[in-house]
Amino acid sequence: MNVWNSLAIGLREILAHKFRSFLTMLGVILGVASLLTTFALVEGLAKSSREMMNSLGGVERVNVISQEIPQDQIMMSDTSPGRTIADAEAIERSATLVKAVAPIYEIGTIVRHNGHDFTGSVRGVWPSHVIVNRHTVEHGRNLSQLDLDEANHVCVIGTKIVSELWPEQPKSKPLGEIILVNNRPFTVVGILENYESEEAKHARIEGRPPPRGKFGKQWNPYDRKNATFLIPFTTMFYEFKSTSLASTKNAAPSVGSVKDDPGPIYKLDELAFQVADPNNMQPALDEVRQILLGTHRGVEDFTFDTRQEWADSTEQTTNNIRLVGGLISSIALIVGGIGITNIMLASITERIREIGVRRAVGAKARHIFTQIVAESIAVAILGGILGLFAALGLMGIIQYATDGASVPIVNAQAALVSFAFAVAIGILSGIYPAWSASRIEPIEALRYG
Amino acid sequence: MALIELTEVTKKYRVGEQEIRALDGVDLRIEQGEYCAIIGPSGSGKSTLMHLLGCLDTPTTGRVMIDGVDVSKASDDRLAEMRNEKIGFVFQAFNLLTKMTVLENVELPMIYSGASKAERRERAMIAITRVGLETRAKNTPLQLSGGQMQRVAIARALVNDPKIVFADEPTGNLDSTTGANILALFRELSEQGRTIVLVTHDNEIAAATPRRIVIRDGKIMPGNDWHSGLRPIPLRTP
Repeated sequence: MNVWNSLAIGLREILAHKFRSFLTMLGVILGVASLLTTFALVEGLAKSSREMMNSLGGVERVNVISQEIPQDQIMMSDTSPGRTIADAEAIERSATLVKAVAPIYEIGTIVRHNGHDFTGSVRGVWPSHVIVNRHTVEHGRNLSQLDLDEANHVCVIGTKIVSELWPEQPKSKPLGEIILVNNRPFTVVGILENYESEEAKHARIEGRPPPRGKFGKQWNPYDRKNATFLIPFTTMFYEFKSTSLASTKNAAPSVGSVKDDPGPIYKLDELAFQVADPNNMQPALDEVRQILLGTHRGVEDFTFDTRQEWADSTEQTTNNIRLVGGLISSIALIVGGIGITNIMLASITERIREIGVRRAVGAKARHIFTQIVAESIAVAILGGILGLFAALGLMGIIQYATDGASVPIVNAQAALVSFAFAVAIGILSGIYPAWSASRIEPIEALRYG
Repeated sequence: MALIELTEVTKKYRVGEQEIRALDGVDLRIEQGEYCAIIGPSGSGKSTLMHLLGCLDTPTTGRVMIDGVDVSKASDDRLAEMRNEKIGFVFQAFNLLTKMTVLENVELPMIYSGASKAERRERAMIAITRVGLETRAKNTPLQLSGGQMQRVAIARALVNDPKIVFADEPTGNLDSTTGANILALFRELSEQGRTIVLVTHDNEIAAATPRRIVIRDGKIMPGNDWHSGLRPIPLRTP
């Protein structure tokens, strides 16, 4: 009388009452299915969140942002020049734990080509910008140091710019074409890769319509990244920042005379850098802080915005959803377990004579116990396996219903956890019926019925 | 030493407030190889007696020795082992497991004695052949006649080569011809040296055995027991 023997007897009992066993199993099947589906959906959510963060620079990207000057430094506030190109140069020169630094000048303006225009932001950047912001130049070339030295009128653009300015040929590669940025001509030298989520990529490859964005149609982070318009930092300064009259932002019709011009704008719109090792974040931040305290003349009017917090909170949120979803799905599984207990108790009453016969020919109480537990485990194992398949079906339905916006990701661990949980439920729900069956006196059992 | 030895055995049940003495000071010896019948009307305590002899129950007081083992205070597991190794049961209602084949039913006691699959198969086939049902081994009990079912039950009782076979009203659910055949089978087994105890309320069936133990109101009636000096009732061909 070993475990396999018991399981075989259990399996046989299940097959003897196929429909009843199926109904019993249904609770377990649905429980496992909903548990696994929850895990998979959360995993999908977490993955697309990670993916998005990666596309925006990953955890290695740190933004230098301005902050209120501390109370005790108020009187020194005028001494600090704020975030300027000097900061970027100092970081590049001195920071050993920083891989790349990206100073950014930004203007909101109209870019135009052949009667088509697009309103968006144009950024003056260093070549290192593509590293820090995880851009890939797919056609042509990146901005070069020479472009900066000579303040060339060249630009590197994203695919959205292409499709907006060349609406007839949205997939064209307009290298060498000239785009007007606030009426100054810029030659296209590079085109960035078309950024899209994994799901959108799969949809495109499989020929399905692209999925709706996770945050509705209004805001798609990849859309924004595809609308990138990069020009050399120096060109940006000379053309648009050396005098505020030149930039559209400040070129209000009433402000027309040189007298009103406040002069060149040295302050950067953004300053970001990429640390060499994200696991060694704090030393890198400390290093940069020391450098920036030098360029800011001791005034701490800046701070760091790391993705770490975002990453942590995403992780935290997914864990919470996983936990809550798991708990709710577990309830289904527990209800399934109660179903097993119920059926087992009923089947014991039905088979009390069989128990008596088994006892009479020499079965010990523990043999009866094992047999009943084995039966409920067999139900749970079978239900668990069917539940895993049901989960796949359920995910298919969810994917279809949400138009592919949620892509569940099944990993072996989640499947294993769900399955193990089902088996554990099987054991637990079998214990009470098995115990009461093993307690029946042989003579009572034989006399019954 | 006798195979079965009961000394001063009593068995009491409580039914609500009332105490029932199912057995009241029973002394009994059954020797190896005996063929005997326990007879008595319903409520006489014969079933209780059989349960004690068959290690299905333990006495309230007194001593029960089966094959040299004192089972009066034995644990549940020890009783199960005794039933498995030394005792075979044949019931009125056959008590076969209907979802299993004849072969599997006969194998059942060996599952609990830990015999290997091959050994189980072999010994079960021998027992089935012994009762003449080798052609029906793969059938389920519900495909058999009552007499055949009882033969399967006998094969099951014999398969672990027990010291004693208890048969509780073995012919109760059978017509007289089939019943007679079953009794003939028991006598045959007895002639081969097997100890057999029939439990019945039917004098006619009891008459088929050389020794009759009459029980009434929880006591063994002295006059009817061979050991009390009466001459043995001759074997009668049923």
